[in-house]
Amino acid sequence: MTFSFLLRRIGYGLLLMLGVVILNFLLIRLAPGDPAIVIAGEMGGATEEMLAQIREDYGLNQPLLTQLWIYVSSIAQGDLGESFFFNQPVAKLISMRIGPTILLVISAQALSILIGVCLGVLAARKPNGIMSGFVSVFATIGYAVPVFWTGIMLIIVFASALPIFPVEGMQSVRLRDAGPVVKTLDVLHHLVLPAFTLAIIYLAQYARLSRASMLDVLGSDYIRTARAKGASERSVLFRHALRNAALPILTVAGLQFGNLISGALLVETVFNWPGMGRLAFDSILRRDYPTIMGVLFFASAMVVIANILTDISYRWADPRLRGRT
Amino acid sequence: MTALLDISDLHVTFNTRHGRVTALDSVSLHVNAGETLGVVGESGCGKSITALSVMGLIPAPPGKIAGGSIKLNGEELTTASPARLRALRGAEAAMIFQEPMTSLNPVFTVGEQIAEAIMLHQKASHDQAFKQAIALLDRVGIPSPDTRARDYPHQLSGGMRQRVMIAMAVSCRPKLLIADEPTTALDVTVQAQIFDLLNEIQRDFGAAIILITHDMGAIAEMADRVAVMYAGRVIESARADDVLDHPQHPYAHGLIDCIPNVGKGDTSLKEIPGVVPPLHLLGDGCAFAARCAHADARCTREKPVLTDHGHHPVACHAIEEARL
Repeated sequence: MTFSFLLRRIGYGLLLMLGVVILNFLLIRLAPGDPAIVIAGEMGGATEEMLAQIREDYGLNQPLLTQLWIYVSSIAQGDLGESFFFNQPVAKLISMRIGPTILLVISAQALSILIGVCLGVLAARKPNGIMSGFVSVFATIGYAVPVFWTGIMLIIVFASALPIFPVEGMQSVRLRDAGPVVKTLDVLHHLVLPAFTLAIIYLAQYARLSRASMLDVLGSDYIRTARAKGASERSVLFRHALRNAALPILTVAGLQFGNLISGALLVETVFNWPGMGRLAFDSILRRDYPTIMGVLFFASAMVVIANILTDISYRWADPRLRGRT
Repeated sequence: MTALLDISDLHVTFNTRHGRVTALDSVSLHVNAGETLGVVGESGCGKSITALSVMGLIPAPPGKIAGGSIKLNGEELTTASPARLRALRGAEAAMIFQEPMTSLNPVFTVGEQIAEAIMLHQKASHDQAFKQAIALLDRVGIPSPDTRARDYPHQLSGGMRQRVMIAMAVSCRPKLLIADEPTTALDVTVQAQIFDLLNEIQRDFGAAIILITHDMGAIAEMADRVAVMYAGRVIESARADDVLDHPQHPYAHGLIDCIPNVGKGDTSLKEIPGVVPPLHLLGDGCAFAARCAHADARCTREKPVLTDHGHHPVACHAIEEARL
């Protein structure tokens, strides 16, 4: 892992982010509808004078390129603008909500990779066994059901019929004054159902993928070599095979991260999870451009960061890639 | 003297989409301590399956040892527990494979892979094992072994990788070393170096070698005794000189005639007409009958048994009836 590789990847990432900012800006400005009317509408009725004042205040009467320049340069200074609807700085709105979203997305990613890969490895051990069949069926179902349906079903079963987990939210009101340990446990308790709901689709995919990848690797010559050395079955599976089989899983995990974030939007809505997904949903309905762009900006940043991390872990896992650019 | 390895009447079957086929049919072989047994035959004749049976590495299912016995140092392997087999693999019997390019794990350094073999069978710390691995790399002729030990397989050439495989195989001083076409994937000058190395290793470590090959030149250079296999059966077995100078079985004749004779001005390459029949199409008779110029009705009806008809053991009706 060279330092210059890291710098280059971060440089590409920043360029990509600039592209994302410009594209987001243009897409939203090109969409039909006058934001001034929307803003005015939210405030309740408007005269032509008021609309002109709003356009003046928000810079909506400037040429598009000037608006873009103002937007990009203020983003560079950490200013994402003021929300039309919430009347608060977008940066503040997002900073309050990005934590829960990151927590949800990363827990779901970790759950799906961990459980998915374990199921896949177990299935690959006996490709014609019961476990293998179970993984195939489970994967098909997991992939087919919509996230919101899974969420509602999990709520019905594990929060309503068997009240093991809370129905919604991230914290219990009655534990507001509890110590940090109790509070953390409380958040984790709330996290279980949303994280599982979000994880299930991806979990199924990773199970299928790692089963196929493991089967492929287990047939290779170096696995035979490992057995010929006298390595135990566990060492063959987890030391010799899994590290090789992990390469395609890592690739997909990196690519899926973007989908995971959009999936989080639905899950947050179903479970009333106080994250960016809810904010995105509300701001789209209210045509709150600065907020939408801010959410898109942060979502893109998360995807770019996830991809850089994927690249790094890929190099860690596969020595053949090291030293290449 | 009891043999180091004694295979008798070994039957191995595979379940295929053509039903159950017999990959090894009453194979009997023995290897004495310190000697080299060459096993020759075309692709698909059962050479590698024999080797994998000894190592307990027949992929099961679909493969299965259906009968017979394999004794290593007097210990029966066909009924040994998986744990016992693991303890023997790498320590008492080790194997070098045909494909050095793919036989090493791409995500571990070569030193690490040799050290693993050592740690599996000896009480050695990781550091000790890694030092031993470096010494072994030096022993098999890899230059600057302490840097090379930290290289990954993709950073080494094919010849180097095969040297690494040899170092790994001999790391626990096994009594039996099985080399399954160790030079097939390498170029000719490297082949000669690898054979030299195997000879040296045998001298130094005193291991018996089973050399599986289809290269009669390698047999001439390496082997003390030879077993010729065809379609899952041993059809001729004798001292290497005897087989090379006086081949008995028409198939062994054919194999030796196939060695190009560049020096004598003969530039044509000979071949044995036809191909090895697929295992599921083997009938009751001699498997070679369809390709044999001396075959008669009995050959297509009845399997010949390995018997000594004066010179050395051979399985052929034509020789038994002195038609040849």
